[in-house]
Amino acid sequence: MRKGLIAAGLAVLVAAAVVTTAVAKPAAQATPAQVAACTNVSLGFLGPLTGPAGFLGQEQISWLRFGVQKYNKANGTRFKVVPGDTQLKAPVARTLARRFVSDSKIMAVVGGSESQAVVVSGNLFERAGLASISGSATQTDLTNGQFKTFFRVVPNDAIQGPQIVTYVVRNLKANNVVIVDSQDDYSLPLASAISRGLRARNVTVSRESVSADDTDFSSIVANVGSDVDVVVFATQVATAANTLSNQLREQGKKAIVFGTDGAYSPSQFKPRSGYVSVFAPDPHFDPGARALIREYNRYSKNKAFGAFGPATYMAGLAATTAATKACADGQVTRAEVTRQTRRTNIPSIFGGRLRFSAKGDPLPTRFVIYRIADGKYSPVG
Amino acid sequence: MDWDKLVQLLVNGVTLGSVYALVALGFSMVYGILKLLNLAHGDVLMVGAFIGWGVLGWLGGAQDPSVAVWLLIVLMVLAAMVGCGFLGVVIERFAYRPLRRAPRIAPLISALGVSFFIQNSVLLLFGADFRSYDSFDLVDVEVGISWGPLNVWILRVVVFASASAMMIALWLLVTRTKLGKAMRATSFDREAAAMMGIDVDRVIVKTFFIGSALAGAAGVLVGLVFGSINHFMGFNYGLKGFTAAVVGGIGSIPGAMFGGLFIGLAEAFSVGYIDDLTRGRLGSAFSDLIVFLILVAFMLVRPQGIFGKPEVKKV
Repeated sequence: MRKGLIAAGLAVLVAAAVVTTAVAKPAAQATPAQVAACTNVSLGFLGPLTGPAGFLGQEQISWLRFGVQKYNKANGTRFKVVPGDTQLKAPVARTLARRFVSDSKIMAVVGGSESQAVVVSGNLFERAGLASISGSATQTDLTNGQFKTFFRVVPNDAIQGPQIVTYVVRNLKANNVVIVDSQDDYSLPLASAISRGLRARNVTVSRESVSADDTDFSSIVANVGSDVDVVVFATQVATAANTLSNQLREQGKKAIVFGTDGAYSPSQFKPRSGYVSVFAPDPHFDPGARALIREYNRYSKNKAFGAFGPATYMAGLAATTAATKACADGQVTRAEVTRQTRRTNIPSIFGGRLRFSAKGDPLPTRFVIYRIADGKYSPVG
Repeated sequence: MDWDKLVQLLVNGVTLGSVYALVALGFSMVYGILKLLNLAHGDVLMVGAFIGWGVLGWLGGAQDPSVAVWLLIVLMVLAAMVGCGFLGVVIERFAYRPLRRAPRIAPLISALGVSFFIQNSVLLLFGADFRSYDSFDLVDVEVGISWGPLNVWILRVVVFASASAMMIALWLLVTRTKLGKAMRATSFDREAAAMMGIDVDRVIVKTFFIGSALAGAAGVLVGLVFGSINHFMGFNYGLKGFTAAVVGGIGSIPGAMFGGLFIGLAEAFSVGYIDDLTRGRLGSAFSDLIVFLILVAFMLVRPQGIFGKPEVKKV
């Protein structure tokens, strides 16, 4: 009996020890070699590398490659970038999205750069459990819950529109505004939101429309009355905003151009007088970003850049960090990368930390407005 | 009636139309001689724009040109004309001549291939960025003709004047010279022209050179007056130039000139007035709708175009 009790006691102790060990044992830690093998995966890039917004995509992929190279060097990882050129065309973006989904090495996508690319690729990525992190898609409804694996590092147009409206009314004291859209998914909702906001504040508003390929706006300018104060141009082509601005001057119109974020380019949109809003501060104006800019300039051999590249650098950093965390056990899946992306909490080059809301928007951010005088940019709001 | 707006739209339409007319001339000349739609013609214009941009950069750029502005513009136009002229000759030699006896669809497909080849070659060489002539720095937009509230930038005058001069020169060449006579003969009946001792191949090469040179000049003029160029700009100008050639009567030189101006004005006025005329139902985005409706209307009502003659087939 006594022996039986002792045996039973020992059995309980052994069982307890086994259970305790099993519970207390940390998840199997992968060796650095396993992590390196696991992070030998790819990130897709979905953006316009050619076409009217080619300048934007080229800047973004250059910063993405720079960021991935820097991250690989610092962390012993071997991430690669697979480029996908949307040409700013939605059907092309959808074809590329399918290709990314079927490429088992791609664990996350950086992009789509343009809202229309996200609209057509979002559900494909969601079905494949593939996280996509955009550095520039600002259309408001992209994060209304319709694409559950979509994230962005930039604020949406629900912030940009009202901010432009407030600035135009309060600071520029405009009474008569022309809004020009470029007939795409990015431009139309933004132009409509600005239009509604201005009308609500009793500003006279008229609408014009151009195509993304247009290079001549002189007949649009002929429609701009001499009493118009501001022309808000919702475009993704900076040179178009520049031409519009010059043609206003050519026809002796006093109106100035206020470009939306797609027009942000100190090298291409350089009117004598104008404004532009952008989703992230340009690091050129941030003394804290000087070291990073120097490093990028060395990498890119002094390629010019604005705000698009650095934002995509952050999107890439979120993706690589999430994939590395997903690799902690020596294995990586798209679902795990998406889970880790949702938990992103990393220092941002724009100050503070990058985190995502439950719907995939960054927390918290705002647009920055720049004044342009004789082609020189300065932040004003 | 807002007369200032009307006159301004007229100026815009004439500027745009002058460019379309130059493109339409190239289409018309090649079609007249080979009965071939040179779909790569718009891309030759694009190459001309890039040659002009290269010369501009080589001579110091718009902010600090190393020669007088007028000389710079002349050099840009001349370089583009010569460069595009030779490009046209190369296209004819390698893409069209081997297919001269093939069914008509073959050179058409070849032309499409050439178009994509040129576009992608320029993309490879210069990248996807829009390139700027910075012509607003080269010649200030306030320099020009001012008449009341109307301002006409001097570069618009330059575009109209140079396009007109080139069209007149071409007209004189075709109607008053031996080469022009040979071109007309080849256009009328290629085989008969050859039997009369005309070197048809040489005439075709010269036609391609001249047509492409005009497109090259048009490319520089576009860059100068609108400021920015890109590797796919040729498609739009090619399409509008082709429309102009059809409206004017493809194969007819005065027809191409008229068609160009007509399409340019139609585009400008439709942007200016479509909103008023449709009471806001259609905006300026639909200006191309008007332009291509005109094309469809002409094809239905007068398929030979305004200056074209109906083709008579003897049986």
